[in-house]
Amino acid sequence: MWFLRINMKDRTHQLTEVPEKYKKLAGRSLTSNLIADEVPPLAHPLGPNNKLVFSPGFVTGTSAPSSSRISVGGKSPLTGGIKESNAGTPWAWKLGRMRIKALIVEGQPEDKGEFWGLVIGLDKETGQPTLEWFDATEFTGQDAYDVYPMVFKKFEGRRVSVCGIGMASEHAYGNAGVIFEDMSQNPSRFAGRGGLGSVMGSKGLKFILLDDAGAPGVEIADKELFDEGRKKLAAALNEHAITKPKGGLNTYGTAVLVNILNEAGGLPTRNFSRGRFENAAKIAGEAIFDGVKERLGEERYNHACSPGCIIRCSNTWYRKDKSEHVSCVEYESDWAFGANLEIDDLDTISELVKLCNGYGLDTIETGVTLGVAMEAGVLPFGDGEAAIEMVHKMGKGEPIGRILGSGTGTAGKILGVVRTPAVKGQGMPAYEPRAVKGIGITYATSTMGADHTAGYTIAPEILAVMDDLDPLSKEGKIALSRAFQATTAFIDTSGHCLFIAFAILDIASGYQGMIDEVNGVLGTKWTADDILELGTEVLRVERKFNEAAGIGKQADRIPEFMHTEPLPPHNVVFEIDEETLDKVYGEL
Amino acid sequence: MIVIDTWLYGELASYAGEDAQPGFAQLKIELPDGATMQDLLDEIDLPTELRGITFINGNLSAMPGKQHDLTQELKDQDRVALFHLRSMWPYQYRQGAAMLDSFNDEIQKDGDRGIHHAFNG
Ligand code: SF4
Repeated sequence: MWFLRINMKDRTHQLTEVPEKYKKLAGRSLTSNLIADEVPPLAHPLGPNNKLVFSPGFVTGTSAPSSSRISVGGKSPLTGGIKESNAGTPWAWKLGRMRIKALIVEGQPEDKGEFWGLVIGLDKETGQPTLEWFDATEFTGQDAYDVYPMVFKKFEGRRVSVCGIGMASEHAYGNAGVIFEDMSQNPSRFAGRGGLGSVMGSKGLKFILLDDAGAPGVEIADKELFDEGRKKLAAALNEHAITKPKGGLNTYGTAVLVNILNEAGGLPTRNFSRGRFENAAKIAGEAIFDGVKERLGEERYNHACSPGCIIRCSNTWYRKDKSEHVSCVEYESDWAFGANLEIDDLDTISELVKLCNGYGLDTIETGVTLGVAMEAGVLPFGDGEAAIEMVHKMGKGEPIGRILGSGTGTAGKILGVVRTPAVKGQGMPAYEPRAVKGIGITYATSTMGADHTAGYTIAPEILAVMDDLDPLSKEGKIALSRAFQATTAFIDTSGHCLFIAFAILDIASGYQGMIDEVNGVLGTKWTADDILELGTEVLRVERKFNEAAGIGKQADRIPEFMHTEPLPPHNVVFEIDEETLDKVYGEL
Repeated sequence: MIVIDTWLYGELASYAGEDAQPGFAQLKIELPDGATMQDLLDEIDLPTELRGITFINGNLSAMPGKQHDLTQELKDQDRVALFHLRSMWPYQYRQGAAMLDSFNDEIQKDGDRGIHHAFNG
């Protein structure tokens, strides 16, 4: 297993064995530990002292189901704190198979407008990673949907996978993701949140290509145990109503949540001023499935974003002429451009998603920032054409576009908007904390800023221990949010997609399967308690970094307006007090 | 008579016949005073086991395998939303959301306090 360090000051590199300290870390636990150990907390996120770390999870690159995830870490230009953002992509699978445990990008060139492409391959004789550089300046200033085919063409005949950045990162926005290819070589899979694309751009790195020819694959210490675990997890995924083939996610995608949250009164509408959108049903997952069926004349189930996914949640929207418009319109993007902006037309929403992919913008941050801009009167609510035009201005770097590209928190300040739905500067995802109070605790306290994936699941064993605790009591909420966040940090470390959570929460053997897989790869004997502790330790490391960067408990707050403005239709406010919020990390 | 604003999602939209739109249907169902959830389901010919997550006025009233709302009396202009069995509402996005008291009571009786997606009865 390798640690590969690239210094962009002079494009030199250093290849070493994995240091002992990091051997039992991967994915988020590795990116966060490396950032905490090597980046000064007060470093400027876009300066030479920040680093960008890529790490596949423990089982990424193996045959473990739904595990082709890559963690990307760095200090975030959006939140100013530590950031881990992850994506499912063939690129992750290849990095795992090439046995590169961490790819660490450091330094930056003295000459600003320089952009480079890097191809990492493997030496046939020694099996060691090799590096080739190419001048990528010619690929800048263009839509990623135009650029990606050119890059694949340039390396025709080689099995390359592409990670890159778009124009948003070239403009150094707080809202700029790292773009990975999907299974059809489209630039549609994002480590979107937190502006890590701009960290990559600040280093003059436009692309990282992986050529995995001759890759040895992931080393597995105990093949039998690994296989046992893999089978248990696969069985759970194939059985559960949400994750099985033709189940909830495979049929309707994550946008199946639109109608649910809308009925619950928790779908943020018109820049978080209401919890229900009257036209939500027209843009929901069910409407996408039926709409596609109507346009194509046949049912279409969803596809996988990356190799080996059983769940296959990624949908595709088609134009009236049956041509593919975009993949994928997932729940957060659908909501961000739909209910949040009061746009009820799937063609417009799909166009906005496609533009974000093409420019390298994070769809959530873009939609939430547009909501704030609409609130400020910069453009009208419900006006899809104006929204499309504004995203072009963001991508092209026009002055108003740059303001919006800085992210929700900053744009809200510049535009003087009180109702700015952001925590630690990061725009809030599609669950209203006034209506769904549990997620509010995670939004407020997560080391990542307002993040819907920070508190995803919990081990059944932990639940059993919490038997006497009412999850709706103060103590229950604190304990649950903490356990949720820690377990999630472990899944992000294992390399699995978070959506395995639905199945493993209901089917205990699936949860054990995930642990067996990891023990099989590492040769460890970790128990459910051990992995919870590992996840908790990740949170401690991240929290410590944030505190040293000046982001302490005062930043663990839900925006003030949510405490004072009742949210229709339930007319509720967020009433969890500061003392409760502080206990989540205070007693970690 | 009372009128119930009834929403049917996904494949349940077919129970609205010609009134179905892509992915959903909205019906105004007239029922006698004092009618219950069971009466509403009977009126639209929807077997209760085919519905999963259910809301009455934005309050969660049923989940797959937990349908204690059949005797719930409905009021004029209530909004009732009936979901198909492929729908989902993961606990992390449900914790602290509004529930019907009767549903909450049932959930409290469970050892796990309603954290799962589906229930066995
Ligand atoms: S469940 Fe969806 S997001 Fe997760 S790996 Fe599979 S296709 Fe990708």
